[in-house]
Amino acid sequence: MKVIYTDVLVIGGGLAGLRVAIGARRRGHDAIVLSLVPPKRSHSAAAQGGMQASLGNVIKGQGDNEDVHFEDTVRGSDWGADQQVVRMFVNTAPKAVRELAAWGVPWSRVRQGDRDVIINGQKVTITERNEAHGLVAQRDFGGTKKWRTCYVSDGTGHAMLFAVGDQAIASGIPVHERKEAVALIHDGSRCYGAVVRDLVTGELTAYVAKATAIATGGAGRIYRVTTNAVICEGIGAAIALETGVAALGNMEAVQFHPTGIFPAGILVTEGCRGDGGLLRDANGHRFMPDYEPEKKELASRDVVSRRMEEHIRKGNGAKSRFGEHLWLDITLLGRKHIEHNLREVKEICQYFLGIDPAEKWIAVRPAQHYTMGGIRTFHTGQSRTLKGLFAAGEAACWDMHGFNRLGGNSVAETVVAGMIVGEFIADFCESPEGELDIPMALVREAMQAERAKLDALLNGHGPEQADRIKIEMQQIMTDKVGIFRTGADLEEAVDRLQKLLVRSRNIGLRYKVDGPNPELVTAYRTQKMLKVALCVATGALARTESRGAHFREDYPQRDDSVWLKRTLATWKDPSDTLPSLAYEQLDVMSMELPPGWRGYGAKNYVDHPDTPNRASALASLREKMQGADRHAVQAAVMPYEHLLPERFRGRNERIDEKLP
Amino acid sequence: MNTVFHVTDRSVPLSAKARSRWPARLDLLQSGTGLALGLFMWGHMFFVATILLGKDAMWAVARFFEGYFFFGRSLYWLVSLIVAIVFALFITHAALALRKFPASYRQYRTYRDHMAGMKHEDTTLWYWQVVTGFALFFMASVHLYIMMTRPERIGPFGSADRMWSDLMWPLYLIMLFAVEFHGGIGLYRLALKWGWFERGDPDATRRKLRAFKWAITAFFLVLGVATLVAYVKIGIEHAPFYGQPYEPAWVTGGHQP
Amino acid sequence: MSDPVSTPALRKLRFHVLRHDPRDATSVPHFQTYEIEEAAGMTLFIALNEIREQIDSSLAFDFVCRAGICGSCGMVINGRPGLACRTLTQDLPADITLAPLPAFELIADLSVNTGKWMRGMSERLETWVHSLQGDPDLRRLEERMDPDLADRIYELDRCVECGCCVAACGTARMREDFVGAVGLNKIARFSLDPRDKRTDNDFYELVGNDDGVFGCMTLLGCQDVCPKDLPLQTQIAFLRRKMARTGLG
Ligand SMILES: Cc1cc2nc3c(=O)[nH]c(=O)nc-3n(C[C@H](O)[C@H](O)[C@H](O)COP(=O)(O)OP(=O)(O)OC[C@H]3O[C@@H](n4cnc5c(N)ncnc54)[C@H](O)[C@@H]3O)c2cc1C
Ligand code: HEM
Ligand code: HEM
Ligand code: SF4
Ligand code: F3S
Ligand code: FES
Repeated sequence: MKVIYTDVLVIGGGLAGLRVAIGARRRGHDAIVLSLVPPKRSHSAAAQGGMQASLGNVIKGQGDNEDVHFEDTVRGSDWGADQQVVRMFVNTAPKAVRELAAWGVPWSRVRQGDRDVIINGQKVTITERNEAHGLVAQRDFGGTKKWRTCYVSDGTGHAMLFAVGDQAIASGIPVHERKEAVALIHDGSRCYGAVVRDLVTGELTAYVAKATAIATGGAGRIYRVTTNAVICEGIGAAIALETGVAALGNMEAVQFHPTGIFPAGILVTEGCRGDGGLLRDANGHRFMPDYEPEKKELASRDVVSRRMEEHIRKGNGAKSRFGEHLWLDITLLGRKHIEHNLREVKEICQYFLGIDPAEKWIAVRPAQHYTMGGIRTFHTGQSRTLKGLFAAGEAACWDMHGFNRLGGNSVAETVVAGMIVGEFIADFCESPEGELDIPMALVREAMQAERAKLDALLNGHGPEQADRIKIEMQQIMTDKVGIFRTGADLEEAVDRLQKLLVRSRNIGLRYKVDGPNPELVTAYRTQKMLKVALCVATGALARTESRGAHFREDYPQRDDSVWLKRTLATWKDPSDTLPSLAYEQLDVMSMELPPGWRGYGAKNYVDHPDTPNRASALASLREKMQGADRHAVQAAVMPYEHLLPERFRGRNERIDEKLP
Repeated sequence: MNTVFHVTDRSVPLSAKARSRWPARLDLLQSGTGLALGLFMWGHMFFVATILLGKDAMWAVARFFEGYFFFGRSLYWLVSLIVAIVFALFITHAALALRKFPASYRQYRTYRDHMAGMKHEDTTLWYWQVVTGFALFFMASVHLYIMMTRPERIGPFGSADRMWSDLMWPLYLIMLFAVEFHGGIGLYRLALKWGWFERGDPDATRRKLRAFKWAITAFFLVLGVATLVAYVKIGIEHAPFYGQPYEPAWVTGGHQP
Repeated sequence: MSDPVSTPALRKLRFHVLRHDPRDATSVPHFQTYEIEEAAGMTLFIALNEIREQIDSSLAFDFVCRAGICGSCGMVINGRPGLACRTLTQDLPADITLAPLPAFELIADLSVNTGKWMRGMSERLETWVHSLQGDPDLRRLEERMDPDLADRIYELDRCVECGCCVAACGTARMREDFVGAVGLNKIARFSLDPRDKRTDNDFYELVGNDDGVFGCMTLLGCQDVCPKDLPLQTQIAFLRRKMARTGLG
């Protein structure tokens, strides 16, 4: 039995995982990072838009600060977020940008003087301040009051991932590439590491660690149509789930993006519609005005996505060998506009569709985009139920996104959580809890169990084909657990997924080699993905309200009186075919921002009984403290700074808020 | 110098031992000798081609290099000296270029396969540069040795006799093609290697340079072949008088053997 | 304007794929042919997955982002290295030959270990910002940078480490230790970055040799295949001048 010992085992080499490892390493703990692929190929690289941090350098960001960022994020989450965590996050995000700047990220910078920008389809001239010249610039992003999204031209995630990846190399952190964690080693209360499969040789190795951190990113691939990379299969969440102890939070909260090109799902920017592009159906009919006479194509992300799916369901989708889709028509914008202002879109169309968007329509369909849910943790990143297990990034439900995450908040989360969780992991390793009595029997058992599962697949002669099952699962998720949800659809989905799960226990492989065998990988991953998919579907079925990205046609209201709580899914027994659901209540009385109207979308919700009380308590407190410094007021309303690791406490300097 | 740089959790001194300065020098020397040889060849081709203007012209050029017009007589060692300098350049260049040759048959095969797959002009051109360079290694050595040891035989008849009666023309013909391709590609590569003429759009510059390179090569090949034919023609006519040097009419007073 | 939704006529495609599992002692490298029907907008990503799903479940290849972003899917397509996920079959003849990127360790079939090579290169060239002080005070305003300079650094930072430039380079093919255009571009990138306090002398230590910038024979395959259109020709020339100057000085 091959065993590798380390202090901190980080599963996942994306932005979150690498930053966690660097944090632990600089505190003097050895860390090993595992990744399915070379770390710089992680999906973090795909984030083009940017990273939110309230630096307030550009003129349109003037007046931005942690308070504004906090409110935007909580409203965005439809009050599903943990507000203390959001506070920790917004206070650390500017520090994260500044750290990355020092590490070499070539953030786009402010240039003093006039420049022309397009705001709401209008050309406007804005003037940047001289004192902002050369500081990190921000751009506009949906759902934010101020321009807050820091960016690196059109490659923010790429530049961030490479800088952090290079720092990891500089710190001498080994990254074990093409290794997949297939199970956690645990005794029901503490996690001791993971069983890891080498994707090249097929060999199993036990990685034993004081602390294990899961940073495996999203689970988009449980859907057929997704903007996510092909490795975003939610295996990290699945192995946590399979412990039977760790819980997945809010898995039903899944974000969709209206314009993924079809069938590849590659994202095309919202700018297409912003500039006047139209959505058309199979007959060439522009259908959005039928549904949304006022805003038409420019209604919010989730509304447009919903309408598109609705229209396809009515039989108006264009048919292709890969399924149904709609058309995005930007031909009317003219070649000049497309070649100058939408260059990226033009390239995507050229490379991936082989069409010229100035002449032809673009096949699009809403696509799964982001997994708000994940491994439920404390603010420290540690699982609430399995000691020694941590999670960060998209794989975690830390919970700063609630039921809808804002654009630009997720790459920000990866590095911020990486910084914070990295410190807490180091604390944990240094604490008595961190001490490790290695239960070798347990390690051996875990290894044997995984070996047995793989052997069963390799030697089995079951009639089921792994990729068929996987595709069917993806199709069910896209059709039935998509943007529009109804009780009937969800029941059907849960039922069919359960059957698939049973069938997946009967997979027979055509190719029976244990080395680089893609079929074997599909087989065991499909078994895991089905469990994650079931968490999404059952969670969605149970939640009889609409909140953020979770939209129930049969329950269109947000219902704080019943549903102001987080769904917790656990998988009690390996032979189960359904997760067990439990709920974690959100406490209105300790919220800094009690639930209300988000400021956009339908004003359609039922209040929690505590909401008026909390609102009036806050109003009187604020009145009492009138004239006090905003930090003091905040501290009185909802203290959080004590939760932050010491390194990252303290105010953030801005042009307009000088530090002494 | 031993600077300490900071990286997240540790400080790394960059290795204190200074590396050799030789790689830079050798690279410059290789390019420098290449450039010198390349430019020399342009001049050389014109000098030799003066035969096309007539025997007298060629005679004058040959005497010129012997210092005839300065000293009133031919100092043949002057030519030998020039050849020796070029020879030295040539050997230096060859020795340096040898470092770039495929070091083993395996490397050679790898390159060939790579080239066959890529179908990429600059990759293919390099191969031809190596092949022609390799050929020149032998041929030009012979030529240079003869030029150095028998400078007095350079002249309209001497050269023509060598071409025809001494049966050197096949060697010259091959060498001509080899050197024109080699030098042309070399100068083109030199410009790209050091980023000359790169203003603005490097792709456009490269396209222009490539067109220019082919034009130059074509020009010198035409010129060279014409020259070769001219020598061969004289060589055939002059074969019966093999060994007799040329004396221009204005020197001999119109009397010709 | 042509019909906005019509698609070109579809063909039968023949994929000739180089198959080999170096860990299997009985495996000999050979080409295997797969036939599939072309579809509108079919990329090599779609085609290879279809082959795997329907014909041969053992075929190994690497895709991650399938959007031309991550650099995972470099392979040799009809003789030239390129990113498979953003190559449309309609731009290729009906006979398509696919081989793994050479110059990298073969994992199986079309899958190669570029990650290991790139990490080695990064360690060797120390491709990170070297600062003279420790951590900056994260609460303070960030250091300023000229906006144009930031853009210029990003231009070079766009490299995705796909390895196409290494596979397309005859020098790298012949000489294993050559750092390749990718490595030289990194050095150019960091030498441009004022946050990196290394001097030209420091960089000379790293690439002032025949495995570094002086090893480049200006074959320019790198320039012509780089899927991110990095200005490799210009950067290598720039670095060569700089290192030659440093070497003489
Ligand atoms: C097209 C697109 C555009 C986006 N744009 C933006 C944007 O503009 N702004 C923004 O804020 N967010 C954006 N996002 C979201 C954001 O990019 C992601 O949420 C974030 O990068 C996730 O980072 P991560 O570190 O959590 O995971 P990832 O970067 O996905 O990394 C996961 C890592 O885990 C490894 N791994 C997975 N499973 C295992 C296993 N079982 N064993 C070992 N290793 C494993 C993988 O190899 C990988 O290294 C975008 C997302 C998409 C899809
Ligand atoms: C023994 C004979 C010769 C050999 C073996 C030889 C070989 C080579 C080789 C292999 C190169 C490529 C080097 C590289 O890519 O880095 C080269 C470059 C070059 N050669 Fe030659 N060569 C020879 C003679 C000549 C002659 C006679 C000329 C003059 C016309 C010449 C001109 C050049 C030029 C201009 C270059 C480009 C220089 C550079 O790339 O740095 N060579 N030679
Ligand atoms: C200083 C050195 C050199 C001198 C004095 C010299 C002189 C001559 C002379 C006199 C001729 C005419 C033929 C003859 O007399 O044999 C000739 C021809 C030629 N030389 Fe040289 N040469 C020199 C160097 C070179 C070099 C380095 C090369 C190339 C590698 C070269 C390539 C040729 C070729 C190809 C021809 C045939 C020309 C044609 O057909 O137009 N020479 N040279
Ligand atoms: S330089 Fe270009 S070809 Fe080379 S690794 Fe980077 S992106 Fe790929
Ligand atoms: S192909 Fe190779 S030789 Fe130089 S110019 Fe590019 S690195
Ligand atoms: S799969 Fe990412 S570039 Fe092709």
